[in-house]
Amino acid sequence: MADVQQHQVRRVVTRPSWSTQQQPQANGSPAVSAVRRDSTSTPVRQPLRPVETCDLTCKVMLLGDSGVGKTCLLVRFRDGLFLSGNFISTVGIDFRNKVVTVDQSKVKLQIWDTAGQERFRSVTHAYYRDAHALLLLYDVTNKTSFDNIRAWLGEIREYAQDDVVIMLLGNKADCGSERVVRKEDGERLAREYNVAFMETSAKTGLNVELTFMAVARELKSRKSGNSDESKFNVQDYVREQSQRGSCPPCNT
Amino acid sequence: MASKGLCQERNNTENEESEIVPDFEPGASLESMLVTTDSFEELEQEMDSSFDERQMKESTTSTISEIQEELHDTTIPEDSSSDQDDKLIENDEVEEVASQLSETSLTSNEEGNTAATPVGSLPEEEYWQNPEWKERKKHVFILSAAGKPIYSRYGSEDKLVTIFGVMQALVSFVQTNQDTIRSIHAGNSKFVFLIKGPIILVSVSRTTESVSQLVLQLTYVYNQIVSVLTSSQLTRIYEQRRNYDLRRLLAGAERLIDHLLNFMEREPAFLLGAVKCLPLTPSVRDSITQTIVQTCGKIKNLVFGILLAKNQLITLVRMKKYFIHPADLHLIFNLVNSSESFKAAESWTPICLPKFDSSGFLHGHVSYLSDDCQACLLLLTVDRDVFFTLSEAKQKIVEKLRRGNCLEAINESVNRASYTASQVGVPEMRHFLYKCRSTAQFWSPALEPPYHVTEESERLLGLYQALHHRLHAASRPLKLLHQQLEKETMLGWVTSGFELYITFEPLVTKHSAINAVNKLLRWIKKEEDRLFILNAPTF
Repeated sequence: MADVQQHQVRRVVTRPSWSTQQQPQANGSPAVSAVRRDSTSTPVRQPLRPVETCDLTCKVMLLGDSGVGKTCLLVRFRDGLFLSGNFISTVGIDFRNKVVTVDQSKVKLQIWDTAGQERFRSVTHAYYRDAHALLLLYDVTNKTSFDNIRAWLGEIREYAQDDVVIMLLGNKADCGSERVVRKEDGERLAREYNVAFMETSAKTGLNVELTFMAVARELKSRKSGNSDESKFNVQDYVREQSQRGSCPPCNT
Repeated sequence: MASKGLCQERNNTENEESEIVPDFEPGASLESMLVTTDSFEELEQEMDSSFDERQMKESTTSTISEIQEELHDTTIPEDSSSDQDDKLIENDEVEEVASQLSETSLTSNEEGNTAATPVGSLPEEEYWQNPEWKERKKHVFILSAAGKPIYSRYGSEDKLVTIFGVMQALVSFVQTNQDTIRSIHAGNSKFVFLIKGPIILVSVSRTTESVSQLVLQLTYVYNQIVSVLTSSQLTRIYEQRRNYDLRRLLAGAERLIDHLLNFMEREPAFLLGAVKCLPLTPSVRDSITQTIVQTCGKIKNLVFGILLAKNQLITLVRMKKYFIHPADLHLIFNLVNSSESFKAAESWTPICLPKFDSSGFLHGHVSYLSDDCQACLLLLTVDRDVFFTLSEAKQKIVEKLRRGNCLEAINESVNRASYTASQVGVPEMRHFLYKCRSTAQFWSPALEPPYHVTEESERLLGLYQALHHRLHAASRPLKLLHQQLEKETMLGWVTSGFELYITFEPLVTKHSAINAVNKLLRWIKKEEDRLFILNAPTF
């Protein structure tokens, strides 16, 4: 029975079908500043409006245990805000869009923010296959959330596309004194699974823009296909970018 | 009170009911979108039929798969996938473990213990001797049949293991004699038990609520759990592992249960088994309904479209043949109320409606209409792949409603102070609840002094609960009851068409009360098309 369902899902979902409108933008601007401009012009809540023509639409999914800061990371990126105070728990999957500019072309990121609780697992699995990129978060102040990363990666391997872009993020990097997971631990795990890694902070904005921009860049370069095997490498890019000191361009 | 005399001047016939036309039922309608079984009759049935029977019945008549079958040749029940999806449940292995565990069901040796988060700092012995904890008016505990703590309304359930142990012992002690424990009465306290298959729910209450009302509340709590997990998942989990720590799967849902329990202490809707509608002029409500019908009419598999604001229903559109039970609607209200995240983004959420089909999930597109109109729209479907279709439909609905000035009309009604009892023109009447039985809708005016403070409004609800209990007592149901109490006079009247519960000034006589009832019914009749939804639109 379950097999049949799997097949059904597979048949129904659109494979990573990149929208094919190619409309090179005239005036180029550096990606990061473009994003910043964008984020100020986007109203706080603008659900799926008929979007201006985008060159590319990518589906990005946020995963990780409950309470690691998935929604906070996303809201920081989309609206430049930090949701402090009350813990707002996601129920099911929340959808938000954001258009970013990468090398003069517009990339629409359709971001699926999932609930971390175990009871939603079977529901969210169904959507893994549609995702082009997965941001897998843990909380550097919560050892369990880090220990569960292996299980998450196992699920990803089982349900997601083989070529999905995966990025491991250690969130809440600002919480210096409460930290229980060292940066090296995260790096080692990422190396083991051959995925990109960064520490982020939704509170200070550390590496938040970079995360999403790196994903957009990677997906765009894959789509244009000009770099097949010697492709734009998200891991190298992340390493390069995050090594630029303590990353002033990333802070909004 | 001054006006009391006035009313008495009017002579009344002795026979109260003869004054009113027999068929007079304000708010009545030939069609209803809600299932209208009286929740108390149903409750009795539910108490009698065992969980296993229910399961059998449900598995053969799954509403969701019925809908799906109409459109697909092969339908896979929603949950079959989670069998595989759920990492926890790898069949062979688990069966083995389960068989081992069933022999030593009380020893906990599973990883679920890691999920237990120690909260609070009191050592175990002191915890339940804590006066603050003991002073609580109503405790609610949930445990598994194996005695594992699942939920405690107050305090961390981990620190209450001993109490949970006692509860489980009581339940199984009575069970050994092929009997079921229902309640224990000790002084002012009632200990009420509800056993639902693998789950035991216990309410320890010092309120005036009756046992059946407490059981109803526990049933709601159980339904809330089913709404989050589905009954099939619940059964399967415990079949595979009697010793399972359900808190793993309920993580994040405690919030829903907490909220539901508080909600039931304020809202008469649960007691009445009915839903309140947002007052709107009929033309506005119709145009909202038509907008939803027209926009979503072509979307296959859409079962319900529900628009609500401030715990009140604006409209409900349903698939032909299918109805929604008020109890399911209450759970939806509870979900919307307790989930802040819906306000910030469009959500795609699995929702099981236990009365509709407890065995599977519906998928809900949940969103607020717009920043400037805080009404929440839920589009419930059996199809998990239509998020974007529904998202588009929602945009269209909002645009059309905006063009038709319906958003303004909703805002206006939400922000307008509700009618008060004094506006009805019966000065000695302080408050009332009116339920139309044929549509399962009710209406009540705003709470005015002295009931505007929490303490008094809770006391008022308590009075209504007591009145309701007297009228619906299974052993001796009443049609009409007039009570002169210390601080108010209460009148309750149950007919085949409606239920009416009124709070008067304390010294109101039976005659003037009956007079007031007539005036009130005429007023409701006059306002019925604003206060109630009188049709039952379908897609």
